[in-house]
Amino acid sequence: MIFYRRLPKFDYVKPASEAELFKVISDGRKAYVYAGGTDLLPKLKKRLLPPPDVLIDLKGISDFNYVRIFDGKLRIGPTATIYSVYTSSDVVKHFPILSQAARSIAAFQIQNRGTIAGNICNAVPSADSAPALLVLQANLTLKSREGERDVRIEDFFLGPTRTVLRDGEILREIEIPLLDSESLGLYTKLSVRGRMDLAIVGVATLILKRDGKVKDVRIGLGAVAPIPFRAKKAEEILKDGKITEASINEAAKMAASESSPIDDHRASKEYRLLMVETLVRRSLKKLLGV
Amino acid sequence: MEEIFIGDFEFLGKGIPRVDAKDKVTGQAKYAADIEIPGMLWCKILRSPLPHAKILNIDITRAKRVIGVKAIITGKDFQGFRWGWMPATRDEPPLADDKVRYYGEGVAAVAAVDEDTAEEALELIKVDYEELPGVFDPEEALKEGAPVIHEYRPNNISWEFHMDFGDVEKGFSEADLVREDRFATGRVIQGFLEPCSAIAYWEGGGVTIWAAKQSPYFLYRHIAQCFKLPLNKVRVIQPFVGGGFGGTKNDSVAGDFCVVMLSKITGRPVKFIYTMEEVMISARRRHNAIIYNKMGMKKDGTITAMQSKLIADGGAYTAIGPLTMYLTGCISTLPYKLPNFKHDAYRVFTNNPVSAAMRGHGVTHTRFAAEIQMEMMAEELGLDPIEVRLKNAIEAPHETVNKVTVLSCGLKEGLLKLKESNLWKERGKEKRKNHILIGVGVSGTAYLGGARQRGHQAAAAVLRLCEDGSIEYLTGATDAGQGSDTVLLQIIAEELGVPPEQIDIQRVDSAYTPVDPGTYGSRVTALAGEAAMKAARDLKRQLAEIAAKEWNVKPEDIVFKNGKVFVKDNEEKGLPFRKMAQIACYSGSGRVLVGRGHSEYGIEPLDFEKGIGNAGTSYSFTSQLTRVEVDAETGFVKCTDMIIAHDCGKPLNPAIVESQNQGAAVQGLGQAIYEEFKMDKGKTLNPNFADYKIPTALDVPNIGVIHILTEDPNVPYGAKEASEGAIVSSPPSVVSAIHDATGIWFKELPVTPEKIALALREKGRGS
Amino acid sequence: MEKKEISFRINGEEVVLHVSPNRTLLEMIREDLKLTGTKEGCGIGDCGACTVLLDGVPVNSCLVLAVEADKKEILTIEGLKENDKLHPVQESFIENTALQCGFCTPGMIMSSYALLKRNKAPNEEEIREAIAGNLCRCTGYVKIIEAVKRASSSIGGK
Repeated sequence: MIFYRRLPKFDYVKPASEAELFKVISDGRKAYVYAGGTDLLPKLKKRLLPPPDVLIDLKGISDFNYVRIFDGKLRIGPTATIYSVYTSSDVVKHFPILSQAARSIAAFQIQNRGTIAGNICNAVPSADSAPALLVLQANLTLKSREGERDVRIEDFFLGPTRTVLRDGEILREIEIPLLDSESLGLYTKLSVRGRMDLAIVGVATLILKRDGKVKDVRIGLGAVAPIPFRAKKAEEILKDGKITEASINEAAKMAASESSPIDDHRASKEYRLLMVETLVRRSLKKLLGV
Repeated sequence: MEEIFIGDFEFLGKGIPRVDAKDKVTGQAKYAADIEIPGMLWCKILRSPLPHAKILNIDITRAKRVIGVKAIITGKDFQGFRWGWMPATRDEPPLADDKVRYYGEGVAAVAAVDEDTAEEALELIKVDYEELPGVFDPEEALKEGAPVIHEYRPNNISWEFHMDFGDVEKGFSEADLVREDRFATGRVIQGFLEPCSAIAYWEGGGVTIWAAKQSPYFLYRHIAQCFKLPLNKVRVIQPFVGGGFGGTKNDSVAGDFCVVMLSKITGRPVKFIYTMEEVMISARRRHNAIIYNKMGMKKDGTITAMQSKLIADGGAYTAIGPLTMYLTGCISTLPYKLPNFKHDAYRVFTNNPVSAAMRGHGVTHTRFAAEIQMEMMAEELGLDPIEVRLKNAIEAPHETVNKVTVLSCGLKEGLLKLKESNLWKERGKEKRKNHILIGVGVSGTAYLGGARQRGHQAAAAVLRLCEDGSIEYLTGATDAGQGSDTVLLQIIAEELGVPPEQIDIQRVDSAYTPVDPGTYGSRVTALAGEAAMKAARDLKRQLAEIAAKEWNVKPEDIVFKNGKVFVKDNEEKGLPFRKMAQIACYSGSGRVLVGRGHSEYGIEPLDFEKGIGNAGTSYSFTSQLTRVEVDAETGFVKCTDMIIAHDCGKPLNPAIVESQNQGAAVQGLGQAIYEEFKMDKGKTLNPNFADYKIPTALDVPNIGVIHILTEDPNVPYGAKEASEGAIVSSPPSVVSAIHDATGIWFKELPVTPEKIALALREKGRGS
Repeated sequence: MEKKEISFRINGEEVVLHVSPNRTLLEMIREDLKLTGTKEGCGIGDCGACTVLLDGVPVNSCLVLAVEADKKEILTIEGLKENDKLHPVQESFIENTALQCGFCTPGMIMSSYALLKRNKAPNEEEIREAIAGNLCRCTGYVKIIEAVKRASSSIGGK
């Protein structure tokens, strides 16, 4: 067993355009694409990934760094940092739940380098941005040399650290449709310390209202299943405004039953299930004023 | 600047800025890893992926062929050398030779022109192991038929320690209430931010080693023994040290021996730097222990007897374990009156990483158990937690049944101050705010200062007067961050009447500085301070003799104050210190003035085997209040406030004393609710700062420190200890607060949100 | 593995270097430029001891590749003082005994400096959040938070 202090050897390229990127990404060498590097570099250092022939840095493509509303949707580029997303006035104004989620990731040093795109491509079940993106029904544009394809966020994750991304494909854009109604959202992250922790349970709750009445309730859960997911059965219970203390409790219990957490050194299955119920119940009560 | 009046002093009792602060805030301070020597090679260690296995063969032929590899060594190269804290327990090899006994134990080391090459070479070393059954729980290791880890301890008991004073059975029979409980302390580590590192350079038949050590003289002796060198050929130089907290940096690590050996073979300097993961897996930890505690109490709260049995997970080697076991019992008879006491401590070998010392050494386990149990019993008897402590608290002068003599004790005063605080007064007024349960807890504890172990225990100081009045101070004592350099300079400055800036402290270099037992057991201010004080007085005496002749008075009439040397009650008859120095040095054909001093105990020898006598020159007393807010459903604990009433005798530098208390309390908070190594058959599952959770700035409470002043004649200027008391007082105070909030007594550390949430649910108080 | 030529400014000085792609910014700063004030604690972004400012924002230099420094501006602890005059944050750390072993101190000061640049009058919560990624084992953070508060008022925050 070796405790490595140095990164393995690899080549480095920093394409200046998308065209250059797609030329280099499938030229036959084993390549990893990265933006922030805050997940990739520790893995490479610890030799948890086979060393690549080349690392491709996306940050040379200036067109990739954006967080803005355009054409009725919030669009986040592949190299937009976590900090830029959490502080973006567009995000804060229209999707405060995403700002909350982004803010809860690690600390400033990581947020200044890490990207939201990277957070979901790394695809750990506890990824903090995932539950929020799920309830916001984000759409992901994946791009390769062959072309583009759209994937809904809920179809993107396959399992812990596995996504539908193919070799030679990158996450080109995250788009979130502007909500056409009044909304209230909350991201709650359960952890042991105040910061720097991976979520033991992550709950994103979004309430959509029309004319003061609840139209839609969406619940996104992280860290309690092989992938982040929406608790659709729980949402069903609250559909069409059937909001009472009893239905909220029922929905919370249902959300727990839809979860399948594991026992690991961070928390036990039993505790995680209890916490799903507790946090879903609390956030629903808070947002719905019950 | 903060000041506490502790006497008519110019520099003592003042919170002067640390003398090393400027170097540290500018990045100029050099730590071991910052040192570079031309021609230096890099060392990396290959470590065992198995917790218990015979080493059948190590094939280094492919690794040797890598370009840039200059030498490769294995355990056999150390020719059976074993090191340890006592001659009887030298059971640890620098690199494993016959078998490996813990996951991550070193088996081979490479020296190469750069670290990348060294890592590549390690990949090509082939080790054949024969896995052996392992044992990972001390109570399992004690059972018949358990795998034997060391031949010389066939029952896996690394060390035992027994104390028996008074008559505990009689004491229990006199009690109105007797409780027996099982407590457990968790797997925690020092958590210093600077990984182990050293550079060794073998030349001229000896070796120079720059090493990140809290107590460099341990390494000094280990290297001399291992390489059969006379001590004057072993030169240990100490750079700035990035935290110690006992244990690893008070010992040697595999890397130290390897770089010396590799430098000897290659003739070049060789450097190693561990990764933090490597530190967490292979370096020392605090012992984790199971404590079976039994206590007898009368209806009015008087403690009649206590009996404790402690089983500690010693890990794979003995290290300083015997001292740990001794410390788990030797001051259990403090800080409360205890006429009958029996203690049995067992340190058990397992195939886990080695357990050794850590701040609050030994005492943290048994004091935690005793504090909690005492409060549990007070609760049963309907007694207030502070009142029951006041009832039993010792008062100075006091001698315990095992002959621990306490000459000063601020425990009662501390507890009374805490009782008067708003934090305590508000206790119970608001117990719940929605789903948040609020609690305030208390503890009252003691720790020793001026620790004494076995063997060489004296500290010494040398003061060289330069002819311009500036002074060189040589000491073997180490400032690992705790601030002792500053305090020692304050002592010398006070004695000589010159500002601390006029004195330069030489960091430890064993070629020049006097040998010193080390920085542990809060002994530096007490013992190196005593030595410094005496050296200053020696120098003063020499100068006073010269001055007295000049002015025709007696040497006793010469005063050193405010940078001047003058006749008592006649300041006109005087000279600036610098001028005096010049005159003294140039008188006659020139003089060399050197002041020398060393510490002396003046106390009776202690009985290490039976736990009789004083383990230190003095004792500090720390009482602590903690306020927590506990989420009734998630179990999440927010610690909002701590108030620490610390009796360190006299705080020579109140700012440093406060900082030490705050740091110790937060480290204790970490142990109480956040920190824990999760193990799976000897493998550590969370060897990183993301999952081994030391408190961050967002987790720490407001911490107020109240200085309790007492008079102790056994220490210089009455300064006892200020570094470890709060890590002993903190965990029980936190757990007491959690009980006040939840109504549940938690007896196993750490008390995680999960444990709290599940316990609350069981208790039916979920929401 | 092809070395790359990079040029950047560090502590106000222009530098040109050839670096291997697998070199981290931290290794380059410490070993190539001999600026050893920035420390390696954990090497994987969990402790903040390696914090430097990269184009004005605090980052863990152990997780930045050296090649990424190209055309950028780096500020390390050595760059804070002007000639012999310490920056108010440094002075405040000294005056308020906001350090012990000093290993976390350079990173802690860089994070504090970055905070005060973007927020002249931070409240306690904001200070704690700004240094949440800088672990300290010695001080318990209390005096550090105090030092940053006082530095902000001396810089003219309040």
